[in-house]
Amino acid sequence: MPHFLLRITILLCATLSFNLFAAESNLHVDDPYVRLAPPGAQTTGAFMIIKNTGSADRKLVNAESTAAKTVQLHNHFNENGVMKMRQVESIDVKANAQAELKPGSYHVMLIDMKAELKEGDSVPITLIFDDGTKTTITAPVRKLPMTMPAGKP
Amino acid sequence: MDRKTIWIALIAMLAGVLVWLAFFWTPDGTQSLAQNKTHAQLQQAETPAGGDFTLQSPDGAVSLADQRGKVVLLYFGYTFCPDVCPTSLSTLAQALSALTPDELAKVKSWFISVDPERDTMDVLKVYAPFFHPTIVGISGSGEQVAQVAKLYGARYMKQKPDANGLYSVDHSSFIYVVAPDGKLAASLPHGTPPQQIVDMIRSQLKP
Repeated sequence: MPHFLLRITILLCATLSFNLFAAESNLHVDDPYVRLAPPGAQTTGAFMIIKNTGSADRKLVNAESTAAKTVQLHNHFNENGVMKMRQVESIDVKANAQAELKPGSYHVMLIDMKAELKEGDSVPITLIFDDGTKTTITAPVRKLPMTMPAGKP
Repeated sequence: MDRKTIWIALIAMLAGVLVWLAFFWTPDGTQSLAQNKTHAQLQQAETPAGGDFTLQSPDGAVSLADQRGKVVLLYFGYTFCPDVCPTSLSTLAQALSALTPDELAKVKSWFISVDPERDTMDVLKVYAPFFHPTIVGISGSGEQVAQVAKLYGARYMKQKPDANGLYSVDHSSFIYVVAPDGKLAASLPHGTPPQQIVDMIRSQLKP
């Protein structure tokens, strides 16, 4: 179960690193990552889980990163098989709930990267919420799987 | 526009979002369920005719007519696409990696850019093989690409550029499977698991 152990480790690390932030806010970010962009691509997405343990609804209203010239919040819709990507004003992080930024859904879009990102690089991303809270996370760059998991047909 | 009209428009928009949430939104954690559903419903979307075409690759013109005897996989997308295209191409790469070298020699995979304006041959040359060394990025003039897309029932629409001149392109996300006889055998919807792509390729390679 190395995968399970890895997940626990990631969770532990995430929990530890966000404890400071949690002291003054009810927002926690789990498992952030940036997808390794193919060469030639000018954009990529950052994904993460934002948890709100507080009793007030929050919204992610903006994101910034020194890694890209432009950073936007985006969502995807599948409309009759046509994939539509749209910039959104904000992403809801409801009270006692979580927002999942994941492939095919909400993501932080990094546009016009200043330098080509490599697998294992760390990308700082500052998340800005509607109450003015700012938090900077460090998202590792991960490559998409290009081979099928062994033993899993 | 007076205030009332704005309110009505706002309410209509909210109603639209609610309908979308109710019918199309897949809540978190249902990924595997959704995939099973795709499995069961692996329908041949519409039934476009398919057909031969010639487009440009970084190494010169490529024609579907020259690929008889091979299974050709087509995917329409664009490199500015941060999520949908990489996801599809990584799924395709996973399927290709599962093939034997003999099988792989009888398979061609073409990534057709629907954004030739930005996706120059230089961009396509480095972009497509990132996913799998056998995937080739091809494109042509806007008109040529539109004709090919029409043959296969692929749809796309360039969106308005934002303040920075950046634009996205809405596009359908299918992997089209062209049989060794050149006929369109299947249109695999977005999210089709790699193993199903492998099965489809193998079923088409059978004599």
